[in-house]
Amino acid sequence: MGALLTKTEPKSPGEQQAAKKITGSEILLRSLIAEKVQTIFGYPGGAIMPVYDALYYFQKELKHILVRHEQGAIHAAQGFARVSGKPGVVFATSGPGATNLVTGLADALIDSTPLVCITGQVFAHLLGTDAFQETDVVNTTIPVTKWNVQVTEAKDIAPAVAKAFYIATTGRPGPVLIDITKNAQNELLQESEYKPCTSVRTYKPTPAIQYDQVEAAAELINKAKRPYLLVGQGVLLSGATKELIAFIEKSGIPVASTLLGLGAFPSDHPNYVGFLGMHGNYGPNLNTNECDVLIGIGMRFDDRVTGNVNRYAKQAKIIHIDIDKAEINKVVPADIAIHADAKEALHALIGYTNANKHEDWLQSFHKLNQVEYEKVTHKELNHPQAELKMGEVINHLSKLTNGEAIVVTDVGQHQMTTSRYYKYKNPRTNVTSGGAGTMGFALPAALGAKLAMPETEVIAVIGDGGYQMTIQELGTIMQYEIPVKIMVLNNSFLGMVRQWQQLFHDKRYSCTEMANPDFIKIAEAYNIPARKVEKREDLQNVIKEMLGAKTSFFVEVVVGKEDNVFPMVPAGGCVSDCMLEAPAI
Amino acid sequence: MKQEFTLEIVSDNNFSILNRIVNVLNRRRVRIKKLIAQENAEDFTRGSAILLVYTTADLMEKVKHQLEKLIEVEHANYFEGSHKYYTFSENNSKRQVA
Repeated sequence: MGALLTKTEPKSPGEQQAAKKITGSEILLRSLIAEKVQTIFGYPGGAIMPVYDALYYFQKELKHILVRHEQGAIHAAQGFARVSGKPGVVFATSGPGATNLVTGLADALIDSTPLVCITGQVFAHLLGTDAFQETDVVNTTIPVTKWNVQVTEAKDIAPAVAKAFYIATTGRPGPVLIDITKNAQNELLQESEYKPCTSVRTYKPTPAIQYDQVEAAAELINKAKRPYLLVGQGVLLSGATKELIAFIEKSGIPVASTLLGLGAFPSDHPNYVGFLGMHGNYGPNLNTNECDVLIGIGMRFDDRVTGNVNRYAKQAKIIHIDIDKAEINKVVPADIAIHADAKEALHALIGYTNANKHEDWLQSFHKLNQVEYEKVTHKELNHPQAELKMGEVINHLSKLTNGEAIVVTDVGQHQMTTSRYYKYKNPRTNVTSGGAGTMGFALPAALGAKLAMPETEVIAVIGDGGYQMTIQELGTIMQYEIPVKIMVLNNSFLGMVRQWQQLFHDKRYSCTEMANPDFIKIAEAYNIPARKVEKREDLQNVIKEMLGAKTSFFVEVVVGKEDNVFPMVPAGGCVSDCMLEAPAI
Repeated sequence: MKQEFTLEIVSDNNFSILNRIVNVLNRRRVRIKKLIAQENAEDFTRGSAILLVYTTADLMEKVKHQLEKLIEVEHANYFEGSHKYYTFSENNSKRQVA
């Protein structure tokens, strides 16, 4: 993606000082520094070369991680943002560089991840001429960004960056993109003070809490016999874990978590009843259709949580708390809607809520979960088959890390198994691709997470299919010696699709079996120590060896080829239809 | 039941705003029967669009909130039927002739 340098390419800052003018590229970098950016994930190319040239002089202030594919850059930035709460920053060039970001943008938008992506663009006078590596990036990325803009003059760069950071990080966070033409990157301009953005006329990210709604919600909660709370990622994004614990300990309400909400409420808390959704726990799913008041907080009633929405919690009064007004009444009609930040809403709600215990109701979840334990979990953890089960692998990983590692998962059976068996104790330790379900997410996201949280153990748990979608990022891990741990659960199948084929398509395994390479040799080629586990007796020792390693470490665990993840709400079924095993044929 | 609605959107004006608005409607498969979009005569950085659409009341309400989620959109309002659309359209043509 290289391009010839032009006569207008920037000189070093020292040379430009005489004129007291700096290039648009330098303005961009100084703006990022003003926004406290320290790490950038990116890949250079022709249309962004002036920015990379300027970056040469800012290597002390800005650490650039050269990934192996732009998709790797954006997923790495997502991992970085998800664990740190800071926006991830990405550089890519025009055309294919920019379009390679689209999957990550879609993923970040649906999973509310703050990102600021900078793409280079062809010279302004070439826009619309089908120039080399010209793609209409703004129009391509409108549906997958919270906001985007094209900048064609250097004077507009700093205000665009300021606005981008403000929009990405406020309200419901999301990805933004700034497309900068090459002439704007090269243009010389008088240096001026950076002004952060503090408001946008048409954008109101912080809704004023309506106390009448809070009071009405509290009245419903206080009268309820079987109240039930569903916690989503909004609680993590709002930093409201403490407030949620306080609210639950006062109200005595059972709490279940969505996929992205895992870690928002401690899994070892007595009121925690489990994981929701298609492969969630039995109690949380079944009792959704038994509760009398259902409170959704910072969650969006995704179809993987609700199943058939026409048979979802019809008996219950619904209280929906969300910062995104478009989410309220989008899927499930709310009886009481609180359009607010989760922390603020919980803080207000505590004052109006009566102390309660709901012991029998709480117990009913544990009874159902006990049924699940006997029919599913116990068998998964103590199976007589020689092949390892995914559940037992994750169970050991959870115990050996005390549920305190950052675990980054990809998409599929291993993801659902990890969500079920890894006992997340802390906020921002579960990183996964939720709404978009992006295979290939985990490896780059894990390296980004590790760069953000170098003191915390970061483990990528990936299936053999997803691993091969972004396997090239092993090169990034090698180059920057990022001590991220990688665990591939290999069943030589696209396991979740195969499971559906088995259960709903009469076992017609259409295009899901995979002939895999020697993953150990591949890891070793990247200077990453690697172990393969095929026997149960080796499993714990290898996990311990992986956790003890000071460098990156790769573990391949060979698991049962045709193992399934249960419980399962079948497609088209409702939460009450949750199955604990495959139906008898 | 589907019916006609007049949808009025007031927003900032920039190169991509109309595309953003139409994207939201397209994604929901809301049929656009007529559309007038213009920049504000006094301030070209602001603008408005008025559309005659054909959809259900439920979807109209949901789309309104999704339109208001767009950073540039100040507000979106809708009215049952086409009366408001044609009144606006007529006034707009008179203004242009004048």
